[in-house]
Amino acid sequence: MSAATARPRSDPFAALRGVKPRPRPRELGLLVLVAVVLVAGSVSLGLYRTHRLDPADGGVVVSYLIALGIGHFAQVLAGRRTDQVLLPAMGLLGGIGLLVMIRLPQELVQQSFGGTTLGLAQAQLAWLVLAIVVASVLAIIVRNDSWLRLYKYTWAAAGIALLLATFVLGRDRNGATLDIHLGPISGQPSELLKVILVVFLAAYLSENRPLLVEQYTRLGPFRLPPLPYLIPMVAMWALALLIVVVQRDLGAALLFFAVFLLLLYVATGRATYVVLGLAAFVVGSFLAYKLFGVVRERVDIWLDPWSVAQGAGYQVVQALYAFGRGGILGTGLGAGLPTIGGNLPIPEVNTDFVFAALGEELGLVGVLAVLGLYLVIVERGLRIAAAAADDFRALLATGLTLVVGVQAFVIAAGNLKLIPLTGITLPFVSYGGSSLLANALVVGLLLALSDRGVEAPPPPRPPGGRLARLVDRGAR
Amino acid sequence: MDGFLLSLWIARLAFLGLLYLFLFAVVRVLLRDLRSAAREPGSELGRLVVVASPEGEPPPGAVFPLDAVTTLGRDVNNTVVIDDAFASAQHAALTFRGRAWYLEDRGSTNGTYVNGSLIEDIAPLGFGDEIQVGRVRLRLERPRS
Repeated sequence: MSAATARPRSDPFAALRGVKPRPRPRELGLLVLVAVVLVAGSVSLGLYRTHRLDPADGGVVVSYLIALGIGHFAQVLAGRRTDQVLLPAMGLLGGIGLLVMIRLPQELVQQSFGGTTLGLAQAQLAWLVLAIVVASVLAIIVRNDSWLRLYKYTWAAAGIALLLATFVLGRDRNGATLDIHLGPISGQPSELLKVILVVFLAAYLSENRPLLVEQYTRLGPFRLPPLPYLIPMVAMWALALLIVVVQRDLGAALLFFAVFLLLLYVATGRATYVVLGLAAFVVGSFLAYKLFGVVRERVDIWLDPWSVAQGAGYQVVQALYAFGRGGILGTGLGAGLPTIGGNLPIPEVNTDFVFAALGEELGLVGVLAVLGLYLVIVERGLRIAAAAADDFRALLATGLTLVVGVQAFVIAAGNLKLIPLTGITLPFVSYGGSSLLANALVVGLLLALSDRGVEAPPPPRPPGGRLARLVDRGAR
Repeated sequence: MDGFLLSLWIARLAFLGLLYLFLFAVVRVLLRDLRSAAREPGSELGRLVVVASPEGEPPPGAVFPLDAVTTLGRDVNNTVVIDDAFASAQHAALTFRGRAWYLEDRGSTNGTYVNGSLIEDIAPLGFGDEIQVGRVRLRLERPRS
C-alpha cells in the first residue's frame, strides 16, 4: 500500500508511462452519425429560415461537434476501456437541445462573460462544451472510488449544507426557491444535490445491505427494517417534504424520493419497503395537498387546466396545443408557432418545457426518438451496474442511471399532463449550466465505473485483529 | 408542390430518419454486447478472489466462481481447498440463500473472520467483504456478467 502511494511521488509521470492509446471504433462510428444528424437538423432549420441551403448557425453546431470529437480523442489517448455508447447518446441529446436553442429567440437568455454578451445558443454551447470536458476528465482520471465510498457522511453533510444554503440564500423564481447567487456565480443546487444523494445512498445501502435484507422488526403483518436503520429512511422522507415546504421545489422532492425508493428496492429486493415508501409518499402528498397552496394549485391544474387556461394553467394548456400542432411528424424545425402577441407561446420553453417544443417541431416520431435515447442511456447504466465488482459500485451506477431516467420521465410526463407538472429540467436537452454540469458528472462517473481495468474495490475495513497478531507470532 | 416545399419536406424527414438511424446503430451495438455477454459462461452467483495466501495454495489472485454452496478448508474434498497451516480440515462454508450470502464457521480451530472480526457460528456477507480462513484472505465479488 505504502509502496504504491510512494511511487508517483518520486516519478509524477509514472502513471502516464504505461498509457497506450486504445482506439474506440464504436464510439467514433456513433459520433460520426451524431454529426450527420445534427448537420441535417441544422440544414433543415436553415432551409426554413432563409429558403436557401444554408445551415442555421453552422458555426455553433460545428464547434459543438469539434468539442465532442476532442472528448472522444482524449479518451482514445488515455487508453481506458470505458463504455463507448454513453458519450454519443449524451452528445446527440445535447445536440438536439442545441438545435432547439438555435431555433428559439436568442434574447431569451443574455449571459455576459468578460465584456461579450452571449445569446441563448452561444451560452448553451459554452455550457455543453464545459459538460463534455467534465465528463471526459472524470472518465479519464477517476481510477478508484474510495474518495466517494469512504467519506459518505462528509458528502451527506456537504449536501445538507448545500440545501441549507439554498434555504437561506435562495432567490424566488416562479414561486419556487431554486437558485442561489453568490457574487457572479449562480446555480441550482438541487441538480448537484441529486448526485451527492446517490453517492451517499449507494455507500450507506451497500454497507448495511446484509442487515437490511435479513433483520426486521415485526409490526402487525408488516416486516419493518430494523429500527436503527429505519431512521435514515424516515429522514429521507422528511427531507423530501422539507424541500417541498421550504423551497416549493416539487420536482426535486419527487426525484429524490423516487430514486431513494428505487435504490432501496435494488439493494434489498424487498417489496415491503417499496410498499411502505409508497404509503408514506401518499400520506405526504395528501398532507402537502391539504396544507400548501403550491401543491394544491399544481394538482388542480393537472386535473383541469382548461378552467384556468388564461391564468395558472396557461403553460400546460399551451404545451398541449404545441403537442397537438406537432402531430405525428411535427411541423419541422423552425416552423412551430413563433409568438403570440410578442410573447413565446409557452413560457419557460427553453428549460422546463423544451419537451413540448420538441413535440411541436419534431412530432410524435421525434419525441419517441428522444425518449429512446434516454432508454439507451438507462440500458448502458444498468449494464455497467450489473458488471460492477462490488455492491457500492453497482448501487452507485444504478443510482446515477436512475437519476437521469427518472428526471427525464418526471418532466416529460409533466409536459404531457400525465402527472402534475413539476419544474425540473430535461437532462442534457434543457438550457442551463447547473443541469448540464450535474448530468455531465453523472455520465463521467458512469464512464469511469464502466472500466474493468480500474483498481479493485478496497476491503471494507482493514483486516487484522487477533488472528493477524497470532499469525505474526507464529511466523517468527 | 414547388421545389422549395419539397426540399423542406425532404430536409425535415431526413432529420427524423437520421435520428432513427442513430438509434438503430446504437441498438445494434447494444445487442452485440448483450449477445457476447450471454455467450460467456455466466451462471456463477459470485466469485471469490484470493487476496493473500502466505503458503501459496491457493495462489494469490486466483479466482473461484461460486455456486450456491461452497465449502472451504484443508481437506481435499472441499470446493475451495485452503492448504494453510492455520486452516482446519472442514473450516467454513459459504452459502447463497435466495437473497444474501452467508458465511458459516464449521467448528474450526482458529475461527473464521469477516473483515477482520471473528464470526460466531454464522454471519451475513455482502459483495466486497473480505473473509479470512487460516492466514488466507479472500474477497467475495459480484459475478462478471
